[in-house]
Amino acid sequence: MSAPEEPMESLYPFLYSGGTDLDAVLTAVRQSTVDKANEIVALRQSVLERDGDRMAACAQAMAAAFDGGARLFTFGNGGSSTDAQDVAALFLNPGGAARPLPAFALTADVAVVTALSNDIGFEVVFSRQLAASGRSGDIAFGLSTSGNSRNLIAGFQEADRRGMITVGLAGYDGGQMAELGTIDHLFVVPSSSVHRIQEAQTTVYHALWELAQDALRRRGAVPPPRSS
Amino acid sequence: MHQTVQASVPEVFARRVEPARGLAEEAETVARACHAMATRFHGGGRLIVFGNGEAATDAQHIAVEFVHPVIVGKRALPSFSLTGDVATITGIAATSGFDGVFAHQLRHLAVSDDMALGVSPYGECVNVLRALETAKQLGLLTLALVGGDGGQIARSPSVDHVMIARSADPRVVKEVHVTTYHILWELVHVFFEQPGVLDPRVVA
Repeated sequence: MSAPEEPMESLYPFLYSGGTDLDAVLTAVRQSTVDKANEIVALRQSVLERDGDRMAACAQAMAAAFDGGARLFTFGNGGSSTDAQDVAALFLNPGGAARPLPAFALTADVAVVTALSNDIGFEVVFSRQLAASGRSGDIAFGLSTSGNSRNLIAGFQEADRRGMITVGLAGYDGGQMAELGTIDHLFVVPSSSVHRIQEAQTTVYHALWELAQDALRRRGAVPPPRSS
Repeated sequence: MHQTVQASVPEVFARRVEPARGLAEEAETVARACHAMATRFHGGGRLIVFGNGEAATDAQHIAVEFVHPVIVGKRALPSFSLTGDVATITGIAATSGFDGVFAHQLRHLAVSDDMALGVSPYGECVNVLRALETAKQLGLLTLALVGGDGGQIARSPSVDHVMIARSADPRVVKEVHVTTYHILWELVHVFFEQPGVLDPRVVA
């Protein structure tokens, strides 16, 4: 939905005209905020239309896995690492009446992250942790904007080898995460703006959490079906 | 059963629309905050960010946004989060309580040229409020990202710029905050590339 990144010159032409009129700058940046609010509303709508049904199915699968004793492992780099930690914090300590669920962010332990990076390399920083701690039926949840982070790809490959449920959030066209073809639940935010991608991904994982909580309540309220 | 869950996906998304559009009403506040931040950065100030729980992850996201911009060619600006040092946080909390963790760090790490940005979903986090009060006393520029009705933090005279996400759902608030701080980053750079407007004596 959103346009490719435009050069700053076309977004803020007054900057390059040599003027220093503060009122003009303030007017332009106010409009920029309005435009971006409209952009993210439109982008979320397109994510809903593309992936709404698949989000519901993913939340059902996560709820069934948690009922079976699964643990959630989240991972990402940079801004996406903060999202990974947000996902883990939300599942583990949701507050209110929501059910706390076992979740770990693979970026939280600096000793492990620096040991693996120093001794082997940064590309194994998630896969080695999943190899050590992930069990069949656990959930691997990775976030990237490009879909091309090597350590995420390695993490998803390891999770797949171990029989984990894999959930991936990406942007652009999904990159290598889409090419892998092994991610069980892949949600690609169709934008080329890293910022808008992250904003829409935040909504996706909040929706997955809320729907999974809803599914868990329903599963607890009725006898589980004989087969999944 | 499956249908009931499926039907709620559009509803979950629909709940985001008005709060996201509401950010447009904060455009003036955001513009003023960015101008003040750009002026501080221009004078050598650093952006110090803090929050609890999920907002702790926002604090770290904001710091990495400024230090390592996603858009190639944008200069790195000094920023750090008070939530990253688990040894310090648990150390302070264990000896003198959690309410003072961020205020303590600011008192010993900040200088008067710096900026303090607190993130609090309801505007009621005591340790965020105390840190903003301490920052104000030290001469820092103070900013807050809050939600709900803004809470105590929005009403505090210690906070120079308050941006409120208009929702009572902390997860929707967070989503509006993410858009807000991405915009803060981008617009700080717009001002930053126009040094003529960064003289502290220039007032609109």
